[in-house]
Amino acid sequence: MRSALVTVAVVVAAAALLPLAYANQLLLFNFVVFLTLAQGVNIIYGFTGYLPFGYVGFFGAGAYGFSLAVMHLHLAPLPALACAAAAAVLLGLLLTPLLRLSGAYFAIANLAASQAMLQIVSNPNLTDITKGPYGVSLSGVFSPNLSYGVAVAILAATLAVMVFLRHSRFGLALQAIREDPVTAGMAGIDVVRGRTVAWLLSALVAGSIGGVFAWYVSVFYPETVFSPEFSIFAIVFALFGGIATITGPILGVLILYGIYNAIGISAPQYFQLIYGMLIMGLVLFLPNGIVSLFKRWGFDVP
Amino acid sequence: MLAYALLAGVIFGLYFSLVGMGLNLVFGVMRIVNLAHGDVLMLGAFAAFWLFNLLGLPPLAAAPIVFVVAVAIGWPLYFLFVPRLLRARDPEMLSIIFFFGLSQVVVALATIAFGTNERSIPGRVLGSGPVHILGQSYPAAWVVSGAVSAAAVVLVTLYLYRTRLGTTTRAVMVHREEALATGIDVHRVSAIAFGVGLGLAAVAGVFAPFMMGSVRPAMGADINITSFTVIVIGSLGNPLGTVLGGIVYGIALMVMQSYFSSWANLLPYLLLIGILLIRPTGLLGRTLRHA
Amino acid sequence: MSPEPLLAVSGLVKSFGGLVVLDGVNFHVMPGEILGLVGPNGSGKTTCINVITGLYKPQAGSITYRGRAVGGLPSHRLVHLGINRTFQVPKPFLPLTVRQNVEVAAAYGRPDDLAVDIDALLASVGLDGHAGKPAAALNSIQQKMLDLARALATGPRLLCVDELAAGLNPAELDGVAQKLRDLARGGMGLLVVEHLMGFIDQVTDRVIVLNAGREIFEGVLAEAVRDRQVVDVFLGTDHDD
Repeated sequence: MRSALVTVAVVVAAAALLPLAYANQLLLFNFVVFLTLAQGVNIIYGFTGYLPFGYVGFFGAGAYGFSLAVMHLHLAPLPALACAAAAAVLLGLLLTPLLRLSGAYFAIANLAASQAMLQIVSNPNLTDITKGPYGVSLSGVFSPNLSYGVAVAILAATLAVMVFLRHSRFGLALQAIREDPVTAGMAGIDVVRGRTVAWLLSALVAGSIGGVFAWYVSVFYPETVFSPEFSIFAIVFALFGGIATITGPILGVLILYGIYNAIGISAPQYFQLIYGMLIMGLVLFLPNGIVSLFKRWGFDVP
Repeated sequence: MLAYALLAGVIFGLYFSLVGMGLNLVFGVMRIVNLAHGDVLMLGAFAAFWLFNLLGLPPLAAAPIVFVVAVAIGWPLYFLFVPRLLRARDPEMLSIIFFFGLSQVVVALATIAFGTNERSIPGRVLGSGPVHILGQSYPAAWVVSGAVSAAAVVLVTLYLYRTRLGTTTRAVMVHREEALATGIDVHRVSAIAFGVGLGLAAVAGVFAPFMMGSVRPAMGADINITSFTVIVIGSLGNPLGTVLGGIVYGIALMVMQSYFSSWANLLPYLLLIGILLIRPTGLLGRTLRHA
Repeated sequence: MSPEPLLAVSGLVKSFGGLVVLDGVNFHVMPGEILGLVGPNGSGKTTCINVITGLYKPQAGSITYRGRAVGGLPSHRLVHLGINRTFQVPKPFLPLTVRQNVEVAAAYGRPDDLAVDIDALLASVGLDGHAGKPAAALNSIQQKMLDLARALATGPRLLCVDELAAGLNPAELDGVAQKLRDLARGGMGLLVVEHLMGFIDQVTDRVIVLNAGREIFEGVLAEAVRDRQVVDVFLGTDHDD
């Protein structure tokens, strides 16, 4: 528990203080976004076993929840963020029937749901409401420093949730559900409720950070915030580091997103090649991520 | 307009059957979801494009070549990876992640090799002038693609129901462990099914330039959704159900495009989610299976 | 039957597709009683337990537990009411430690907030030396014992035991039989499905013989082996055990 809290404190402090020393705030912001999203994936995949191929749906719902609240309700950014979170949780509730599906069925249905969201939001018929394919501009609320700070706060809250899940009976119950729902039921665990709570929690995380993303960048297209890359990256980072741990997804983001920024932006296909091969290698040789290497060497990793 | 849309739906439906067939064959035999399916289709499309542009080879001649090459690649690929995946604790989940990784590798390599440009083959190479069917006229390329798809589906049916290998393949589909116990060489049967699955995807790819307008390295992801929708409508693991799925999907798509064109893109997603939720086993699936 | 039965099953029906597995089963279990449920393979024994413990919904008939209709309730609700079971093939939570496996059941499965002495519970099933190991490190017999501990951690009044004895050596069999009799002496009702007739004879007070989804005999095992119909089922045309 203590080592987990130390890890979280170091990550949050680094995220909060680095902008003072390093000028590229956008890059740091993107790191914060992916640190948060990878933990959001960790909540639903690591603790309940549902692979959210359409996780970006919540992110986009948050971004548009924020934007619609600012554009139509003329809310200030912080209350608009509450709308972002609410939009994602609402979408999560709407999609709870998907939890009846298992394995690949869930993953694909979730992907389809996120693509459906994109098709709806970007439909020209809805231009009056969502600005359709022409994208959103929120220059009135643009405030990089404040929104960066809020993003770090959301990251901190997400990590706190992870520490709770790692060290609480509820986290144990979720892992029990992931391992075998039937036995979990006979341990007295309400399987449907446990899954739903984890699902909505992960929606809340992605929706909040999606809302801040909209606030931070202020100008974006539907394809930006519903890009399947958000889901793919978040899942790959979490898997690479090691799911159901706190450190794993953090390491995954720092290493892989670091590589991405070193080579990926100018030549994304080479980065795609690298992470594609990494995924194949991981599944075959290291299904529990690089954190399991540390454990094999005798280090206890939170 | 409705008659036009319905008939076009059947033509495209036959093509979509072929698009989904390989994915369903692989799922039926191995219970794994090949997320690189759409990317194999993309490779087939590029192969057809280059064979036409470099060698002047028409798609109808390219199709058998592409099929054979894909089978030849699929066979070793199976032995390299699939048995290892099937031994894992959660084969279905691990395989979906693994093939997702493979899919990324294929897309990346294709992008490096071909660039991100969209490519197409002129429709006239499949036949000139419109074809008239039941008073409606359609581009010859559509009709030829639909006919080739129908022929491929018939061949798959003959393979599954009229050959010894096909009979054992169906036995493995019904019960892998029992097939193993009765002395069937499950890995050989599976490797062939895997190769044929990739081959069918590649052949579908040969006609993608005509049925999908153009081809690009990243097209696989959308193809996967389409294929999955088609086979889920028909029922997973039942290759012949795929034909029903393809035609239902084709007609729905054409009717949507005729009457609600701006919402037509939403169709595959909603259809997929709806059918999974209402009837997870597909329209032809058995209701319950219990040991 | 002056005292009220703990569990009363009446006219229970369950079918899969066209296959009728339970075809109107009736029986009851008294508090402190060990009832054996025997019959050839496919006679519906495990399905019976699955319906009682909420894995499947019954299609007809009633399940009354302590005077209350409980048919069709979800598993966790039944666990909270005091019904639990062991599995023929246990599926413990493999990455969790043995202790955590029991802890989570004690935390979520009890209607009361009474603390469970997990060490004592693990010791009582012979797992005291394994508390810190992941469940994946246990052998199949140990996993069965862990499954029993998981069930007991929820403080059940009715325990369904599905083929717990299979694979045990004679000394372990005696230990388990003793354990089940101790539980019954404490007032728990037990429903025991078992193929080993010696074990059934050793632990049960009474047996129900099922065949093709119907009960064909009810009484003590010694009489059952003299019953014509029972003998036919076990040794006659249907012999597959």
